[in-house]
Amino acid sequence: MKKILIALMALLITACGTTVERVATDETIDLSGAWNDTDSRLVAQEMIQDALARPWIGEFTGRKGQRPAVIVGTVRNLSHEHINVKTFVADMERELVNSGRVDFVASRDERGEIRDERIDMDLNASEATRKAAGQELGADFMLIGQINTIIDVDSNEQVRYYQVDLTMVSMADNRKVWLGQKKIKKFVKNAKIRY
Amino acid sequence: MLISRSLLAPAIGLALLFLQGCTAWQVNQIAGQLPALGAAEALQQLDKIDPPERDRAQFLLNRGTLKFYLGELPDARTDLAEAQRIMAALQATSMVENLASVSANETLRSYTGTPTDLVLVHVMLALTYLCQGDLDGARVEILQSQVEMQRLAKEDSSSGQLPSARFLAGMIYELNREWDNALISYRQAYGVLQQRGQPVPAALQDSLLLLTQRQGLKDEFEKLQKEFSRTPLAPSAGELFVIYFDGVVSSKSEARVSVVAGENAQFISVVVPTYHPSRHMTRPLTLQVNGGHIATQVIEDLEARARDDLADDMTRILATATTRAVAKYNMVNEAQNKSDMAGLIANLATVVSEQADVRSWNMLPASIQVARVSVPAGAQISIPHWAGAQDAPLQAAAQGRKAVLVLGELSAAPLGYPAAPAAAEPPSISTATSTSTDAGTSP
Repeated sequence: MKKILIALMALLITACGTTVERVATDETIDLSGAWNDTDSRLVAQEMIQDALARPWIGEFTGRKGQRPAVIVGTVRNLSHEHINVKTFVADMERELVNSGRVDFVASRDERGEIRDERIDMDLNASEATRKAAGQELGADFMLIGQINTIIDVDSNEQVRYYQVDLTMVSMADNRKVWLGQKKIKKFVKNAKIRY
Repeated sequence: MLISRSLLAPAIGLALLFLQGCTAWQVNQIAGQLPALGAAEALQQLDKIDPPERDRAQFLLNRGTLKFYLGELPDARTDLAEAQRIMAALQATSMVENLASVSANETLRSYTGTPTDLVLVHVMLALTYLCQGDLDGARVEILQSQVEMQRLAKEDSSSGQLPSARFLAGMIYELNREWDNALISYRQAYGVLQQRGQPVPAALQDSLLLLTQRQGLKDEFEKLQKEFSRTPLAPSAGELFVIYFDGVVSSKSEARVSVVAGENAQFISVVVPTYHPSRHMTRPLTLQVNGGHIATQVIEDLEARARDDLADDMTRILATATTRAVAKYNMVNEAQNKSDMAGLIANLATVVSEQADVRSWNMLPASIQVARVSVPAGAQISIPHWAGAQDAPLQAAAQGRKAVLVLGELSAAPLGYPAAPAAAEPPSISTATSTSTDAGTSP
């Protein structure tokens, strides 16, 4: 009887404690129905495949004889959720650079830090390793975009529709050379009864 | 010894039942003294309270509000967002808490927020984001407030429909240059005020006139102009929205009411939450503009909203209280039949456990007021009797931009959008700006 009681107590303590289970980063786990890592990954994948399959890269490379240099502009979150857009923009940057067909240049925020370092180099680095100002690679295209949502709600049910639009704009003449779009739709049903 | 042991368990139970209501009373006491204590002292006292898990949302709402008043925006945002998350997670009905409320009292339910709380938490979060310079973050919150209002919408009631949330949405859409969305939000604010028979503040009238004119909706513009008997604001690139939090909303207290219940239809006394008549006198914030005065006007009477929410919930509260009272009455009778001591303990338990749920988001202002000022270059704007000041929004408006000034009677310093640089010195509120507005003016 005593053993059963101890076993039950142990079970109760285990049930109340925090548990951590490591899972694969590409495993889909939907908890609340809100935007999550899976959505971010799906958007990045779709956008990368689309961007690499379109003619803008080939046209530019053929015309200029070099890879296009791209800068990431503003990707605005106009959705109903606080979404970290930097994750899928970073995913896209990595895949596009790794494809060897596109160069990315530092964004506006990143450039400040790099320029500060260059100024510091002028004072402290050896002449052989010092990097001169005015040698930055100018961008040929800017990637801009936005995330929009439409949410319909009734009592404990929600339909959440996400649309991510990215646009590649030519810095030379404002031409839009690529338009990427990814849509995600979810039906979320919240519990009516809890413990 | 035997008696003392047999009494130990009920005594502990009684003590726990008594203590469970203490937090709410402590919070209410601080809220009642808030105007005298000030936000900083009230926050210190609130932080000494360790609320039970079921009161956590209420605690965080109040603490987040005080931190907002004190300009501790990242911390305010953390508290308010956590309160919002808890309330959202608790919207499902709890069987255990229902049972506890029928057998002991309503305070054993988790604080899930009133309809006003559920929307207003997004309004507060939107202002927090805005005053940190994050316009997109503020926009997310107003979209969430709209989803919440849609969820709460009922054909026969305006419960949870807040004109202040709609007005703020319109303002944020305007800051984003989304004119059509802004107009829709202003129309919705106007609709709710009309439905409630409440006066339409000049800022909302001006916003509707400006936007209908801007969008070329001639018929609607003329209709509104006739309704408001108002000359539209002179078009000006620079504009200042003023959001003002006036006073402190009332707290709930207990009232004993008699209901007819039981097999013999006897009168049974039950305890329910109530609001005493408000003694708060609405006080506007007055801006001096080129020698004239512009006063903020009420867009959200939170004293009225709190009372409406309680009235909407009263049928359920009374039904639960009556069921509980009958059950307790029967329990005492049964215990009495067993022994006098058991009857005494049972009687004591029912009396001590009978507590009304007096929890509320009671560190909110009594009213939310607004003003809209058109600011051409060269005018003088000042806020009399305001010690602290923040002129970043005023400078922005003077430079032809739209800006927002957020002030509260309990604020440590005014906040606004565009946000002041973090290391900026406290500036003088007087600035070289001009105005051509007649919104809520007095000579």
